[in-house]
Amino acid sequence: MQTSILILFLILTGLALLVFVYVFMTSKGAKSSGGGIRNALKKRLWFILILFVLLGFTAWVTISKSPYYLFADEAPSQVIHVASMQFAFVLSNNSIDPDSPKGVSSIELPKNELIEFRVTSLDVNHGFAIYDASNRLIAQTQAMPGYVNRLRWKFTEPGIYHILCLEYCGMAHHGMRASITIK
Amino acid sequence: METVKIKKITALWIVVVLLLFVVSIILGILMRLNQGEIIHHSPVTFYGNMTTHGLTMIGIWFVAGMAGVNYLMQRYVTVSLWPNMTGLIFTAIGVILLWVSTFIGDFHAGWTFLYPLPFKVMWASWATPMFLCSLTVMGVGWLIWSLGMVMQLLKRYSISQVFAWQHFGKNPKVETPPFVLISMITLVGVIASLLAAVVLLILYFMEFFSNSSFVNDALLMKNLTYFFGHTIANEMLYLGLAVLYELFSEVSGRPKWKTTWYIAVSWNLSLVFILTAFFHHLYMDFVQPEGLQIVGQLASYLASLPAAGVTVFSVIIAVYRTKIKWSLTNLLFFIGVAGWVVGGLGALIDATISNNFVLHNTLWVPAHFHTYNVMGNVLFSLAFFHWFAMQFANNNITERFAKTKLGLLILGGAGFLAVFYLGGAESIPRRYSNYPAEFPSAQVLAYVGAIFATVYLIAILFFFLNISKRCVKIMFSSSS
Repeated sequence: MQTSILILFLILTGLALLVFVYVFMTSKGAKSSGGGIRNALKKRLWFILILFVLLGFTAWVTISKSPYYLFADEAPSQVIHVASMQFAFVLSNNSIDPDSPKGVSSIELPKNELIEFRVTSLDVNHGFAIYDASNRLIAQTQAMPGYVNRLRWKFTEPGIYHILCLEYCGMAHHGMRASITIK
Repeated sequence: METVKIKKITALWIVVVLLLFVVSIILGILMRLNQGEIIHHSPVTFYGNMTTHGLTMIGIWFVAGMAGVNYLMQRYVTVSLWPNMTGLIFTAIGVILLWVSTFIGDFHAGWTFLYPLPFKVMWASWATPMFLCSLTVMGVGWLIWSLGMVMQLLKRYSISQVFAWQHFGKNPKVETPPFVLISMITLVGVIASLLAAVVLLILYFMEFFSNSSFVNDALLMKNLTYFFGHTIANEMLYLGLAVLYELFSEVSGRPKWKTTWYIAVSWNLSLVFILTAFFHHLYMDFVQPEGLQIVGQLASYLASLPAAGVTVFSVIIAVYRTKIKWSLTNLLFFIGVAGWVVGGLGALIDATISNNFVLHNTLWVPAHFHTYNVMGNVLFSLAFFHWFAMQFANNNITERFAKTKLGLLILGGAGFLAVFYLGGAESIPRRYSNYPAEFPSAQVLAYVGAIFATVYLIAILFFFLNISKRCVKIMFSSSS
């Protein structure tokens, strides 16, 4: 998905920069100050309308794909509780006692089954980001003290998935990790 | 006499901003070199530099916009010196407190200082209250400065006039200059964000002094943090746009821009969109009500309509097939608008919730916000600085090396930003002092980023020397 996003960005950026360069060149080549755009107001309003329709269409298509609605109609086959803390993740099949968090930093999960991660923090804000075997970010949620974020995900490929913290949480933030093995 | 003093204080602001900008760029380069494993700082040093870099950058480009708007506002209203002086003194004290807390106290909670990280002390215990005090001092100074300017505008224009509401109808009897409209809209946003900061800081201090008998709500604190942080970071760009509306046509030798119905409508709508777009920072907090998440995406999208359809389109119209007098000032404005558009595209992509799911807190985030700062807002302010210095200089001297300076600025900026975008597409996390082995390209990208940032720094040093020399003369000149 990230590659598609990058390509889209590069195309849009290329088009925008072409417009700016072209407009600048027309100014450099202009012989009098009387040039400009005819019916500028009409063209401006058309431009705004087209942009509005494009953005509206994009919003309509993308909002339904937001992570809040992922697998919303299915019942998860497993619930994994995640307690985040400086600078570790504790994962467990059972609820985690905040005063005495018990769990593991590496778990095994089945392929093609819906997993619900219930993610919280025992101290500061953290990120719970799942990277696939090729180290590409595939899903994430925040871990916030006092709240539980529910992230649903179905792993379709076997392999080792790394969990990294993506919310800055202090001096060892970059070393905070866990893993999931999908069999 | 007041005018002379405002000229001198503006010159002082420019020198201070450029000096702090150079220091902050160097901190940024050190961070990228550390990530590239070229130098080896401890994580505490890295994250301390990251905290200083972020807050100093936001602070200086905000005050740069304020100083520019304050100077040009004299064309329309009588401007008092004291709010500006208060802003300067409080900013100086705030920056000193901030730097002491980070460089000596090792405070390193990041510029977002997300609650409750500042209370999980991993630094000198005095550094947390000193950091919070630094924000308080700067916030109070900026609030006084902003309110002072609003008061001056309201002495000359009524509420409806200052927001250009009479332009919604045909043939308005009073014309509100675009500069006045945009300044007012922006100042309202600034004041709103600073009031949010006041509430945030009060809540921090209440918990700090309660010995943990009072505990804040993390979600509320996060909303307040981003309402403040996102809004002020956006408004500093809009301050730059106010200056652009005032100066672009003037330095191009073209008729001055006037407020029309669509300019009035779009800027009034902008205020609504800007104040509600901050929700996009909380997309990955699934406990936030879904309605607010959707408001975040829609407001972020809608904010681009007046920006592209009115401001960018107006600049395009002003230039297209029109013979205008190109100078370093309007070139900086023009390139800055292009940079702003590119950064906006990156931001729109990230403001789409389904994309944010795989981009949030990767290098895509610093990629897009650095774009509209490094190649947008900074250029708007540089354009003002250059124009300001030019008024008191020989044109031939100050326009010398213009192509070299611009070339280095574009090359350095584009290269520096490109590797950020590539890093984002590679899922490389942001705010990592050192990259794990899973990201073999991250170190190379960081190293390349540092090289291009150095090229950008060289261009800024050219501007700094050229503009500061003139500004120092203005500061110490005895006549007007």
